[in-house]
Amino acid sequence: MAPGLKEIVEALIFVSLEPLPLEKITETLNDFPAAEVEQAVRDLVESTASAERGISLIQSGGGYVFTTRPEFDPWVRRFLKIDRKSKLSSASLETLSIVAYHQPVTLSEISALRNVDSSYTIKTLLEKKLVKITGRKKSPGNPLIYRTTERFLAYFGLNSLDELPTEEEIAKILGEDKTVEQAPKP
Amino acid sequence: MNDVPLRETENSESYQVRLEVFEGPLDLLLFLIRKKKIDIHNIPIAVITKEYLEYLGREEQINLDREAEFVLMAALLIHIKSQLLLPREQPLGEGEDPRRFLVDQLVEFQKIKAACSILKEREEGQLSLWTREALPPLPEPAEADLVEVSLFDLAESFFILMKRKEAENFRVVRGKNFSLEEKMKEIIAALEKEGVLDFLEYFNRQETLEEAIVSFFSLLELIKVRLVMAVQERLFQTIKVWLRRESQARQ
Repeated sequence: MAPGLKEIVEALIFVSLEPLPLEKITETLNDFPAAEVEQAVRDLVESTASAERGISLIQSGGGYVFTTRPEFDPWVRRFLKIDRKSKLSSASLETLSIVAYHQPVTLSEISALRNVDSSYTIKTLLEKKLVKITGRKKSPGNPLIYRTTERFLAYFGLNSLDELPTEEEIAKILGEDKTVEQAPKP
Repeated sequence: MNDVPLRETENSESYQVRLEVFEGPLDLLLFLIRKKKIDIHNIPIAVITKEYLEYLGREEQINLDREAEFVLMAALLIHIKSQLLLPREQPLGEGEDPRRFLVDQLVEFQKIKAACSILKEREEGQLSLWTREALPPLPEPAEADLVEVSLFDLAESFFILMKRKEAENFRVVRGKNFSLEEKMKEIIAALEKEGVLDFLEYFNRQETLEEAIVSFFSLLELIKVRLVMAVQERLFQTIKVWLRRESQARQ
């Protein structure tokens, strides 16, 4: 591997304003063989993971991004004067996962799945830029079509929609539930 | 699902459970199904309907806006029950269970809830990771998104200045006349040298009222012939004067 390549990659990720996709790194460093650049990225991830540092390099939202380590969260929050980050409400989470799994999806489809009117929830999700409108469905009333955003992926530390919890993971949770229920009550 | 909205009270002579507000009717139904340890694919509609209606009657915590949705589900349950009770001319075929629609919904909803619990854990983990928040880039000077000021804004700033100058009460006697043309050249020269002029500051530099007035007219003239551009970065901020780019290119 070319000397300094790892450091060059580190510099690029550092200045990038959003998660930096691997393709963009190889495209920028097209004077090096792509395989070497990819190796440099892997090495960099490894070395930031092992080093005694306050930040680490993770893959999230479709690219590489520096984040603080979770154990330093209290001090970062003190510095930023944020008591705690607000979490999504369970209604938002429900609606969001319906959009994630059923996209492209319309509001009435979401509401039907939840059996709850979801127009307010979808509005808050739009405001938080976790979902977006991508067009209109060619059906009566031409309802708006919703999809999840890149920000949604980054919010949950996912790189693509393929990384959403799988059928097996969901089945496992439902299975665990059953065993708990079948356990005799004290 | 580990977020069953259920809280046991300590003094339990009789087994007491307090229910919290459910997100929706499916939430409540799922809870009742789990409480009764019912197989979701074979729901005894009579039992569950009774439970459901009992809950609706007892529960005052349901959000009023959502009441309709809970009542709709009650109606659906009763409808299914009546379908099951009514005698049929022909027995139901495979997969023609009147409960089918509800079961499908419940199964799907259960999956969503499970996915939610996984996502919730991920959210928890992600919230303790911080990235650098990127600030939006600062606007380039003379970029079109700045507010181009109206004549009235200019005039208003000018009168404020004049008031200030008056208060200074100059007693300068000078037999010099200021010509518009000279002043215009002076402003252009200053702009070419400094790139940008602060409107208020520039007039403050003028020695006499007369000179200030002439500079103001020159500036208006320059704006009119589109040699310079007056912009305000934000409302109530000082007005700045730039040479127009196209005019720079022409020279």
